[in-house]
Amino acid sequence: MKLAVVVQRYGADVNGGAELHARYVAERLAAHAEVRVLATCARDYVTWKNEFPAGADVVNGVPVERFPVARERDPIEFDRRSRQVFHDVHSLQDELQWLDSEGPTSPDLIARLTRDPQEFDFVVLFCLRYYQAFHGARAVPGRAVLVPTAERDPALGLSMFHSVCRGVRAIMYNSFEERALINAVSGNEDVPGVVVGVGSAIPTEVEPGRARQKFGLQNPFIIYVGRIDANKGCSELFDFFLQYVEASPRPIDLVLIGNPVLRIPSHPRIRHLGYVTDQDKFDAIAGAEALIMPSYYESLSMVALEAWALGRPVVANAHCDVLLGQCIRSNAGLYYENAAEFAGALDTLLGNAALGQALGRNGRAYFDQHYAWPVIERKYLDMFDRLTSQPPAHSMEPLPGWLARRRRILPPAAEVLSAIPSGPAVDRPRREAHA
Amino acid sequence: MDQNQQSRRGHYNRGRRGPDRRGPDRRTPAPQAQEQGGRDHVDVEHIMRDIRARIAQRHGIDLSNQQIQELAARRLEAILDPRAIKPGLLDELRKSAGAPPPAPDPAEASELTYTFEDRTLYESHRGLMRFMRRLLNPILKLFFNPNPLIHALNTQARWNAEAVTREADRVRRQTEWNALHYELVHRMVTEVSRVTLELQSLSSLVESLSAKVDFNERRVRSMEGSLHQPRPSHAPSPSPRSPERERGPERERAPERERGPEPATAPMAAGAPAGETAAAAEAPAEGQTSDSSRRRRRRRRGRRGGGAPGENAPGSSQQAAQPGSVSDMNSEAGGDEGPDDEPEQDEREVVEVPPVAEVAIEAAAPPDAAPAVVEPHVPEPAPPALPAPGEREPEA
Repeated sequence: MKLAVVVQRYGADVNGGAELHARYVAERLAAHAEVRVLATCARDYVTWKNEFPAGADVVNGVPVERFPVARERDPIEFDRRSRQVFHDVHSLQDELQWLDSEGPTSPDLIARLTRDPQEFDFVVLFCLRYYQAFHGARAVPGRAVLVPTAERDPALGLSMFHSVCRGVRAIMYNSFEERALINAVSGNEDVPGVVVGVGSAIPTEVEPGRARQKFGLQNPFIIYVGRIDANKGCSELFDFFLQYVEASPRPIDLVLIGNPVLRIPSHPRIRHLGYVTDQDKFDAIAGAEALIMPSYYESLSMVALEAWALGRPVVANAHCDVLLGQCIRSNAGLYYENAAEFAGALDTLLGNAALGQALGRNGRAYFDQHYAWPVIERKYLDMFDRLTSQPPAHSMEPLPGWLARRRRILPPAAEVLSAIPSGPAVDRPRREAHA
Repeated sequence: MDQNQQSRRGHYNRGRRGPDRRGPDRRTPAPQAQEQGGRDHVDVEHIMRDIRARIAQRHGIDLSNQQIQELAARRLEAILDPRAIKPGLLDELRKSAGAPPPAPDPAEASELTYTFEDRTLYESHRGLMRFMRRLLNPILKLFFNPNPLIHALNTQARWNAEAVTREADRVRRQTEWNALHYELVHRMVTEVSRVTLELQSLSSLVESLSAKVDFNERRVRSMEGSLHQPRPSHAPSPSPRSPERERGPERERAPERERGPEPATAPMAAGAPAGETAAAAEAPAEGQTSDSSRRRRRRRRGRRGGGAPGENAPGSSQQAAQPGSVSDMNSEAGGDEGPDDEPEQDEREVVEVPPVAEVAIEAAAPPDAAPAVVEPHVPEPAPPALPAPGEREPEA
């Protein structure tokens, strides 16, 4: 079986969530099929500047082909078009122009896919909202397996994506919430889909003491791993944590790992370790009392899965449907909606080590059951087998004509999304489990 | 962090020794303690509900204003006796409180506030008639003097106008007072409701803290007592406990044991947590209440009266009963391991030491909650105990 993995950026040092997801999947599937990665030459997801050389490469044993980005992103234009399609009545042409302005616009990559239609059995396309996934899916709809990595983001309300979700051969969802969201917004229940997610490269041995010693972490600590950004809920996390330490006598520190985009409050209880190696990251997570996930929007928090894989509980933002659903389904994490609940959850966890360990055990079992690599690989291979044995039951809807595309009749994407019900999708998995 | 985690866990592990030690009624694991498919059955939704309930309880005033208003309204209606008070009065008062002062009826006002001047008697809308009356007025005055009449009516008219103004002022002031009174009463009732909620919250807190203090005092006494006792050369090993002993028939034999020395009974009881209310509540139901509770009371009196444990008379039943228990006490820091002559004490042991698998229940209970509050729900924990917090991972 020959597979193409199409993603916007690819490299051993590219650590974006979806990109890492794509790399892990490509490397794992390479053991079962002939995998080739098609990506752009961009390294920076904001500018899409061509930084990798175009052409063939090999990353961790997987062949990679990179194609240049035709034009870098113009942030002003992108912002203007985003406002237009998210908040105003607009046309399909506006949406297509928005997609071009978002990037990474790489017609060569799409041409590569269509050059030899029989070359790949399946094309696994990552990140629905980007150029390569949209145009790639439309270029090879009969072989397109989409990994949308979608979150509750206004872009999902754009109508051009709905036809893609209805037209691809299959969709590999990251979470039940993502599936419910995409089903609701695009009405694609008949498209074969499975909730897969992604595993992680968990080291066989972690040494919490090593991280404590290396970084001088003497007090018990909770940890946040990821970009330190207001968009990730970090400013709220700082507020809640500072309120907590002022009111609580517990000697607890907040340890941050990741690059700061937001100013980190100067407080003796907040420790920023910056960018650390994977081993240090896992050591630190293993030594933490809990991992904090303050983000409002996540398609699948890999770091939460890593914490669970290491047997540590998670305290998540309950406003994020995916995280809330994961916590409830796994019984491995607590969640909060406000400062009082944040403090209550921390108090409960810190005051009861047994609870933390039980949650951690649940997390580990949940990870092993759903996100261990053999499970992930099996789900992908089963889906490929299924698609191979069954002819396509549907086709991609063609784009409307020149005039119809320019008719301003599409509702604002934010409105479309706000009409979709939210909340954790806990009933469906339970029903499926019982069935 | 719970500073007693390690000692409590050790205590618990010892308490688990022997398969039938606690009797069949405590063996049945509660759902929270079960493991299913390698996963601890911890219900995070339940834990979060408890956390939210605890937050609401701790901050009774965190009830929304709307909720407190509703509560206050219900209380106000409950205070007002419908037999003595007109049913619609409260509604009327509530309505009038928010309404502006009523404007005087214009028809009535104009009727009262007429003007009466010296020419009013001769006024007419017909000009000729008005002229003729003024012309003949000197002739009229030959018959009677109209001036006093005019004066009186003029004064009356002035008084009427003043009365109307006064009445309007009075109504306005009354309306304002009504609104003020209603607002004051309403706020008072709201405040009383809020304070009542706080009081309830604080009462439970005080109850919880006092239980905790009581438990700590007992534990300290027990530890001190055990430390002051000499270690005997041959410690009689506590007899293994059979399940039958824990049940009803065994309890009937309690008076016999009471007559003889009670090995390690006092420290054990002293080490028990303040779950006595729960234990005492259970005891009468067993039908052997009087003896065991009398015995417990006697032990309590002994401990309280004895002050420091060292003051216990050598050779007393408490001291004589403890050979060999010192090391146990030292090792467990709780001293509540010993011959199990009282099932209630075992139950208290469970309360005192939250088993690892009972995390949901532990989480449900506030950190400072008295164990006695939690005790009735405590299931038999799963056998594999988790390591103590310090053992969870090697520290640097």
